[in-house]
Amino acid sequence: MEKRPMLEIKGFSKSYGEGKKAADNVSLTVESGDIYGFIGHNGAGKSTTIRAIVGVLDFSEGEIFIDGHPVRKEPMECKKITAYIPDNPDLYENLTGIQYLDFIADVFGIGAKERQKSIEDLAARFEITEALGDLIGSYSHGMKQKLAIISALIHEPKLLVLDEPFVGLDPKAAFTLKQMMHEICEKGTAIFFSTHVLDVAEKLCNKVAIIKHGQIIASGTMDELTHGESLEDVFLEVVNE
Amino acid sequence: MSKDRILLRCLLLSTSSRNIYRHCKDKKKRGKIVGAMIGQTILYLMLMAYCVLNCIGYGHFGLAGSIPVMCATVIAALSFIFTFFKTNGYLFNFKEYDMIMSLPFTSKSIVACKFIYMYIKSLPWYLSVSVSMLAGYAYYVRPPLAVYPVWILLTFVLPVIPMIAASFLGFIIARIGSGFRNKTIIQTVLTMIFIIFVMFSRFFIEDMLRNDKTEDVLSSMSAATDSAGKVFLPIDWFRGAVADLRISDMLLLIGVSLILFEVVFMLVGRSYRKINSALRSHAARRSFVMSERKRRSVLNAIAFKEFKRMTGSTVYLTNGALGVIMCLVGGTVVLFLNLDKIIRPVLKDAPFTMEMLYPVIPLVIYFLIGMVATTAFTPSLEGKNYWIVQSLPISRKTLYQGKMLFNLYMTVPVTVFATAALCISARAGVVNTLLFIFTGILLCLFSTAWGCVCGIKHMRLDWENEVEVIKQGAAVTIYLLPNMFINMGLMVGVVALGTVVSPILISLGLMTAVAVLAALSYLRVLSLTRE
Repeated sequence: MEKRPMLEIKGFSKSYGEGKKAADNVSLTVESGDIYGFIGHNGAGKSTTIRAIVGVLDFSEGEIFIDGHPVRKEPMECKKITAYIPDNPDLYENLTGIQYLDFIADVFGIGAKERQKSIEDLAARFEITEALGDLIGSYSHGMKQKLAIISALIHEPKLLVLDEPFVGLDPKAAFTLKQMMHEICEKGTAIFFSTHVLDVAEKLCNKVAIIKHGQIIASGTMDELTHGESLEDVFLEVVNE
Repeated sequence: MSKDRILLRCLLLSTSSRNIYRHCKDKKKRGKIVGAMIGQTILYLMLMAYCVLNCIGYGHFGLAGSIPVMCATVIAALSFIFTFFKTNGYLFNFKEYDMIMSLPFTSKSIVACKFIYMYIKSLPWYLSVSVSMLAGYAYYVRPPLAVYPVWILLTFVLPVIPMIAASFLGFIIARIGSGFRNKTIIQTVLTMIFIIFVMFSRFFIEDMLRNDKTEDVLSSMSAATDSAGKVFLPIDWFRGAVADLRISDMLLLIGVSLILFEVVFMLVGRSYRKINSALRSHAARRSFVMSERKRRSVLNAIAFKEFKRMTGSTVYLTNGALGVIMCLVGGTVVLFLNLDKIIRPVLKDAPFTMEMLYPVIPLVIYFLIGMVATTAFTPSLEGKNYWIVQSLPISRKTLYQGKMLFNLYMTVPVTVFATAALCISARAGVVNTLLFIFTGILLCLFSTAWGCVCGIKHMRLDWENEVEVIKQGAAVTIYLLPNMFINMGLMVGVVALGTVVSPILISLGLMTAVAVLAALSYLRVLSLTRE
């Protein structure tokens, strides 16, 4: 049986009103176990593409498939196996951290024992166990980011979509996240994430796509793209063309 | 637990004062929560007292049989208005949209849960009306025992249809607005058109009732109340179910509510993502060409920032500018109408001359203009962006002066225009006109400064949705209610006083009192900025 890609974007385009296209004929494929970096300058169309993948943004051109399910026609099937961490997580500020995690665990139908173990483990790794009883409103940006990451990981998604996940994280938490990204990929989860930090992308990803003015201008495995050069040089070269 | 219940539970928990109180460590914040709860209870009690007094009036005139219709009318009107103004911000375009939409919920589930959340949150208001009116009805009519559970049960059902109607209307406005580049402006214009349409419909209906030529005041009151049931059928079903214990009416009310809920939210759910995608995104032309820049003073820069904040939010525009727009429309209309012809039917044969009514002119204008002072909620509206103004080299005094300046820019020109228009229409004379314009300006100063006092004293930055501070904030409530009631009392008092004292003296007295109040409020603002 042919193996289905975990994420497949085919000719996706999105324009806002009569303005320019935020995404223009974007196509890419992410397989299980891939750590796929999506890089581009500010306003290049990264977040637009990511919001369309996770079913938040409506679009009419192209199609996006998650594990073979079309996002527009079968959004529920897609969301059940996807986790999304936005760049600036707007969480319920008047819930405590643990109340929020319980909410997410309830939504994904995770049993009491499983969730307790998984929350304990993840919270300990991100060092926010003690803050879980506090209101999210009292958290710093980094702590909110950590909570959003934990909430994304507790249901063991097949596809993890992250928008600038390292922004606001302290160095230790950033290291923990990178470590965890490797771990879950080894278990078969596909990761698709946007970043500005090219060093991170270079060290972490096995595949990369560069987007400029809504169009993919380069994509492939890290080796195919860099040919021994640094990702930074390649990026600057292609975006300045 | 079903997913819908999980989401609903989370929505309720995330705005529950009890939850915040339990987990908050800040004593000041906990005190504020208790204060807000006490304030809210007082408002419920005030509403209940108002309803009981209404029942006493009805009972006194032998019209207790109309109490169920009155109860249903008040609940229907409250639920419609509450929901209509909250649709944008609660059902659409809410802050945590991305987070919820990325979770495995259907669009229909999300919109339905948001609706039920709004319903549960406003239920205490409807129950306050219902329980107090049931008590009045029970006292005067002594209905059979079965009426009590039916009445209470149907109180829970009654708000559903008006709320669905308001939501659907909000949906239509959002749907149309989302297709335009200037979504906020289009949505606001449509909302304003609807509000003005409702106001004119009200006059039209009142006129229809007057044309009944019912001379008897009692039967006119009864007819006015009972006719509500003919305009809006659920009111009649409620009356039939509780007054005549008609099972068919009860089933109709429940059945139609459930069917409408299913059908409307299925329809809304279908285009939910499309509407939100459009509302939450901004077209980018990327064709900006640098032109000559203008330099503004610090105060004007803050005022301009406030202006942009207002035009960027439908909730802000419809609430903050409603009085101003109504005043503008009213001022224009009176220029083309004979004021005497409008006032006479209202006064009937009361022994007032037009001169006696002159001192009311600035108060009438202020009733609209002072309905909301933007300064009552703009301090809270800074929310998470508060750091921007905090980190800038501007003092708190300058910041609030800028906010006050914006409110004055908005209210003073309209007040001057509307007062002048009303004075011209009422042939008030040059001296009176100048006096009233001056009083109007002083009222604007008072409203701005008093709003700012409330806004600073009850500033709340940790809101989830701007509706919480613009419509439901403690600052706005504390500013609005006493202001409105005192103004209404003043209008009556000024007219009554006009029968014994020269109207010009009353106007001068009023002007002096307002000037003192405005000065005191401004001084209070200054002292608050130093704290």
